[in-house]
Amino acid sequence: MADARALAALLQLASPALPVGAYSYSQGLEGAIHEGAVHDEASAREWIVDAVAGPLAHFDAPAIARMHAAWRDGDLETAARWNERVLATRETAELRAETLQMGASLAKLVVAWGRGPDALRRDVAALAEPTFPCAFAAAAVALDVAPEDAVVAFLWSAAENLVAAALKAGPFGQLAGQRILLAAHGAIDHAAAIASSIGDDDMWSSAPGLAILSSRHETQYSRLFRS
Amino acid sequence: MTPRAHLAIPRAATRARGDAPPPPGLAGHGWAARLELAFERRMHGCVLAHVRHEGPLTVQRALHPEGRDVCHVVVVHPPGGVAGGDTLDVDVDVRAGAHAVLTMPGAAKFHRSDGRTSRQAVRIRAGAGAIVEWLPPETIVFDGAIASAVLEIDLADEATAIGWDVLALGRRARGEAFRDGRWRQRLAIRRAGRLLAEDTLDLAGGDAWMRSRAGLAGAPVCATLFAAGRAVDAAVVAGCREANRATRAAIGVTMPLPGLVMARCLASGVEEARDAFVAMWSRLRPALAGLDARPLRLWAT
Repeated sequence: MADARALAALLQLASPALPVGAYSYSQGLEGAIHEGAVHDEASAREWIVDAVAGPLAHFDAPAIARMHAAWRDGDLETAARWNERVLATRETAELRAETLQMGASLAKLVVAWGRGPDALRRDVAALAEPTFPCAFAAAAVALDVAPEDAVVAFLWSAAENLVAAALKAGPFGQLAGQRILLAAHGAIDHAAAIASSIGDDDMWSSAPGLAILSSRHETQYSRLFRS
Repeated sequence: MTPRAHLAIPRAATRARGDAPPPPGLAGHGWAARLELAFERRMHGCVLAHVRHEGPLTVQRALHPEGRDVCHVVVVHPPGGVAGGDTLDVDVDVRAGAHAVLTMPGAAKFHRSDGRTSRQAVRIRAGAGAIVEWLPPETIVFDGAIASAVLEIDLADEATAIGWDVLALGRRARGEAFRDGRWRQRLAIRRAGRLLAEDTLDLAGGDAWMRSRAGLAGAPVCATLFAAGRAVDAAVVAGCREANRATRAAIGVTMPLPGLVMARCLASGVEEARDAFVAMWSRLRPALAGLDARPLRLWAT
């Protein structure tokens, strides 16, 4: 039953029920809907697939793989360096607040789980300003989830959270959401391949259109989401 | 009376020119050009204390249009632009208490590559209490260019940096798009060794990210402004937003942490982006540097 335990751990890690407050963030999607950049199923699918294929594939996912290795090796210094870099790529006030709130919640959860090496929990508790990707990598190590599985779990939960936000903020039905999520599978596969092969110097995360929509969302009159 | 900045981003220099190739000997020959500048605050004001250059990258005489405490310099690029494995390194050290304003006389141009990669790196350090303003005209990336640009800002505690980067993909006036080649750029801002902001872009010619709404949203001009220094009031950020209500460009202004303001602009032309950023600069400069900002003609020749 070892495989069933591993799968259960992976499903728990990727679950939208993970108590980190992901449901209160749309990662710019509510702003994109408000400004008309996302207005139908096709444009919502494009936004979500582009997010996975762009900065998530070329920065967040490879950063998760690197931080997973650092946590597994007990290398707090390397984990902290990547954490600082992840935080520096969160360009707007609300994207920064999002990753810090979710990261702190997940870091607390890793400690509360009581799984994995004691040193891991001590280091996670000691890390200043944990970002969500960094805490996610630590959570994967705590649950003994392999790095390539952790990357897919991260990408899938990011896509799933965007679909859930689209359903709440936009004129989309449940079935449209399911079609978008299915369409994201190919992008997730592609992103996972990039994450496992990309060099440090080739990683990129620049998303000027997202930064503009997220900046404007900060002063949007009526909002459901905190990002 | 508040001292005034005499800033005019040269417009004439950014107009489309003919399709003249870079002058022989100035681009495309794998030049390694390097410029080192150091500014110091002395008894009688801020001075350009050290200049060292190699290759076709120089600096014009330092000017003090705002009085002795602020030193303005114009960095002169190879006039024909960059191509064929050229490397440009600009290293600026603004030492404790000094205030330097740097610009360039015309757009930085990255020509179609012959297969070799060209590279520009600008590294700016600002010491305790120093102020640096990096206000260059746009960077034009020609179709077929293979090149990278790095801008790294290292700030001591209590140092201030205001600057921008205006990227134009393809020569718009010729209807040219960036269909072929590769453009990579990186902006990193550190305070006391800690990374505050990092922005890294990697575009292949015709890249889908240039059309994506989260990416460049189809805009040929992508510009980034940064202002790092003491914490500014939210009203200053609101003023930066308000200043550009009427523009056709897509603009976002945010304050990710108390000592950092970032703005983005996606525009159809460089002038929209430049006008938007000058309007923001004129609000950020008084707040961060305590100096009035009044764009005047100075380098418009």
